[in-house]
Amino acid sequence: MKITPIIGLEVHVELKTKSKMFCGCNAEHFHVGPNTHTCPVCLGLPGALPVPNITACQWCIKLGLALGCTPNKTSFFERKNYFYPDLAKGYQLTQLEKPFVVNGKITVDGQEIRINRAHMEEDTGKSVHISENGEDLTLIDYNRCGVPLVEIVSEPDITSPQMAKNYLLKLQQIIRYLGISDADIEKGSMRCEPTVNLKIEEDGKEFFTPLAEIKNVASLTGVLNAIQFEIDRQTEEFTKTHQEKSKTNKTTRGWDAVKNQTFLQREKEGSSDYRYFPEPDIPHITFTDDQIAEIKKSIPELPDEKVARYKKDFGLNDYDANLIAQDITFAASFDKAVGQKPDPKMAKFAANLFIGSLKTQLNETQEEINIEKINPEFFQNLFDSVSKSEISVTVAKQVIIESYQTGKDPVEIAKDKGLIQVSDSGEIEKIAQKIISENPKAVADYKKNPMSIGFLIGQLMKASGGSANPSLAKEILEKLLKKI
Amino acid sequence: MDFTKLTINQLRQGLIDKKFTATDIVQFFLERIKTIDPQIKAFITITDKLALKQAKNIDERIKNGEPLGELAGSVMAVKDIFLTKDIETTASSQVLKGYIPKYSSTVYQKLIDQDAICIGKTNTDPFAFGGSTENSGFFTTKNPYDLTRIPGGSSGGSAAALAAGFCTFALGTDTGGSIRLPASLCGVSGLKPTYGLNSRYGITAMASSFDCPGVFGNFIEDIATLTNITAGQDLHDATSSTNPIPDYQSLLDKVDLKGLKIGLPKEYFTDDINPEVKDSVMAAAKEFEKRGAKLINVSLPNTNLGIAVYYILVPSEISANMARYDGIRFGQSLPDAPDIISYYMATRGKFMEPEVKRRIMIGTYALSSGYYDAYYTKAAKVRTLIKKEFTDVLSQVDVILAPVSSTTAWKIGEKVNDPLKMYLVDAYTVCINVAGVPSIALPCGFDSQNLPIGFQLIGNFFEESKILSIAHQYQQIADFHLQKPKI
Repeated sequence: MKITPIIGLEVHVELKTKSKMFCGCNAEHFHVGPNTHTCPVCLGLPGALPVPNITACQWCIKLGLALGCTPNKTSFFERKNYFYPDLAKGYQLTQLEKPFVVNGKITVDGQEIRINRAHMEEDTGKSVHISENGEDLTLIDYNRCGVPLVEIVSEPDITSPQMAKNYLLKLQQIIRYLGISDADIEKGSMRCEPTVNLKIEEDGKEFFTPLAEIKNVASLTGVLNAIQFEIDRQTEEFTKTHQEKSKTNKTTRGWDAVKNQTFLQREKEGSSDYRYFPEPDIPHITFTDDQIAEIKKSIPELPDEKVARYKKDFGLNDYDANLIAQDITFAASFDKAVGQKPDPKMAKFAANLFIGSLKTQLNETQEEINIEKINPEFFQNLFDSVSKSEISVTVAKQVIIESYQTGKDPVEIAKDKGLIQVSDSGEIEKIAQKIISENPKAVADYKKNPMSIGFLIGQLMKASGGSANPSLAKEILEKLLKKI
Repeated sequence: MDFTKLTINQLRQGLIDKKFTATDIVQFFLERIKTIDPQIKAFITITDKLALKQAKNIDERIKNGEPLGELAGSVMAVKDIFLTKDIETTASSQVLKGYIPKYSSTVYQKLIDQDAICIGKTNTDPFAFGGSTENSGFFTTKNPYDLTRIPGGSSGGSAAALAAGFCTFALGTDTGGSIRLPASLCGVSGLKPTYGLNSRYGITAMASSFDCPGVFGNFIEDIATLTNITAGQDLHDATSSTNPIPDYQSLLDKVDLKGLKIGLPKEYFTDDINPEVKDSVMAAAKEFEKRGAKLINVSLPNTNLGIAVYYILVPSEISANMARYDGIRFGQSLPDAPDIISYYMATRGKFMEPEVKRRIMIGTYALSSGYYDAYYTKAAKVRTLIKKEFTDVLSQVDVILAPVSSTTAWKIGEKVNDPLKMYLVDAYTVCINVAGVPSIALPCGFDSQNLPIGFQLIGNFFEESKILSIAHQYQQIADFHLQKPKI
């Protein structure tokens, strides 16, 4: 029995526009007094009408373009009808027939994952269940009602929980590059609903298990675990029942992160009827070719392009290139440090400092990089000094942190601290002689095993306060030791 | 002084000339309402205190020589589906009873800003669903010409209030004929503007792609004055027109009747029409002909599909628009329910009127999966055909002239138990809404029982100034609009 998971993801991303999707209310809803960011429109009061937020529509197209989608020149909104207290109007404005963008793809772990569409819709309010004086109450906060959401629907091209996680990370990275959302899964500004079933090959026959859509997954680990659970569950279920998917047996399952399992929420997904129809309150929205081109122009260099450039132009390896490109501000800081058309050697040197030094430091202090503190001149100076062997790479890695923190020229810092590398062989020879005479045991060891020269080099470097040119030090030590 | 006989401009001038005060005007109308409205039942809410306060404020400003709005001295009756801040707005439905809005509809606010005085909120079919006011969740309004008859609807309270002399003008909405039908049956004038000319913001929605707020007036001149104020883009209504608004008042004499091409669609002059109505409407057409206009026979072949298209698309939109009336945030509710679905069912079951439920059911059915294409999609296609038919005909003639209703006002109870019969009362008005073009209804006679007859002038998109000018010139020829019911 061969099992291949078939996984598709619906991802909701909350856009961080200033105002809501269909009214002028402030779209911020975290740590805001309940129902303070509301108006007749998002409260669904009688007579209120939606007016679309054009910035949000543009951002949806921007995201679509970044995902390789094609924009629909004319789009419209539809009403999706269902009753729920946090859905003020009794219908949600969304897009079914003509979403803003369709048919894209992104590459994850070297595999292409097709994007069916990205469409614009509005978020709902929040139901808060409390207990007061022994009575169970449900309170509704409409602050989130009407906040713009983009829904990105993938084709079922994902074949493992890990790939699903990496797909999400990739989406998150692109979205953050575009600056249109925090895409924070834990805070709910990015939400994910996987749909999972299995292709089972047995005795030369193919079977497909019934689809299950998983709701309420609120973390990356959750996505990983929920999908894995579902794969195991469906495998077991199939072994027992041999039930195959049909048009009517799609189920909705909830994810219980505490028990680490999915549970049945709703059967027969096909039977719910949302009675979609075109939203008559909003005219069709058309973007001209020029407007689309303008949006396209506003898209920054995307992660894949950046990584490719770092590899090709600077000779960085895949790991390093990805590490730098992971976060847009970090990558932008790196790009700033190396300047417009850097010498590949210089860029590689800078990359080494960014990854080996700055990133480690920032991780320790849990800080975000501040691009303002990056001075390209300093990196150039440092590179020149290292090239001339005035400063060792080890020293460069130390002083760049102090330079980042204080805003001082790293070469000056090295000078002040006496860390300028000594490449004067006379000077080094003096120290070497001293070290040899102070360490007879090490000298004896060297005679037995020339590989043990490292200890003596270390002692020499220490005595020079790290300022000796290490390769020169080795050369001189070897020369002197030979004479003994 | 009889203030029912004065135009908006005359009332304003009278104030400036200190012939009377705004308080005099309000007291005059309040007195009439107090004595006569118990028989007519045009109003759900009488805003006497607000009206007197507004009047006092206007009078103060006159005394101090401060500027006055265009509508100073005019008293308006407002259909109870327009939201009025701090004044109960019921939409004539039990489900919204007790709702005090926190904001006002754009059209109402624009008129208030020009010193129109609000005297009360008028009865309608619930959420404007109906053609007679008999579906109202509160009571049926009587036709001022015959208290045993309906005033037409849905804006029947507004039309009756104006006909009975309770106000200078009134606000209504026309989704399938709801201004023109009651105007015609009550002997007043009413404009259904082009879709999008007047903002829909703050008016309980019936069918969003059809609803047209508009005004009733005694004089076309008044309607021109009011439309100048109400029309124009509203940033709160994405479907409101961005077209520049012409000065309708100064264009009233602009259209030359000589050589004017008036289309008479044969589908509107069939044998289904009451002969007295047909004669009066034709007589009006002849008046134009006498003054040099050409009467041209035209055809709108898809007219018979109008009602079918209307009663698929409109309830579809209604079924969604009514979803917000769940008793949670406004209106009446039955709070004791074991769960949320029971709560919705109990509240909506108890407080929504039968016609409201009927339309929700029809719309929900039409939109259901498996039926959507057969009903909604098909109706939407026919809608495009009907729209094209109007623009085609209106490219051959300047204006279309037609009756508004096949009969004069009918007896209360005559059609209310037969929904299909009731739906057909809009047969001569719905196609105009399906197309979205403007139409003005105005009086052109009385039948043998002294019940008013009206006709309508239909123009192309945004040609309000043309139809207003033709209607205005008719009122210089005929005096039907000056006749009042004996009450």
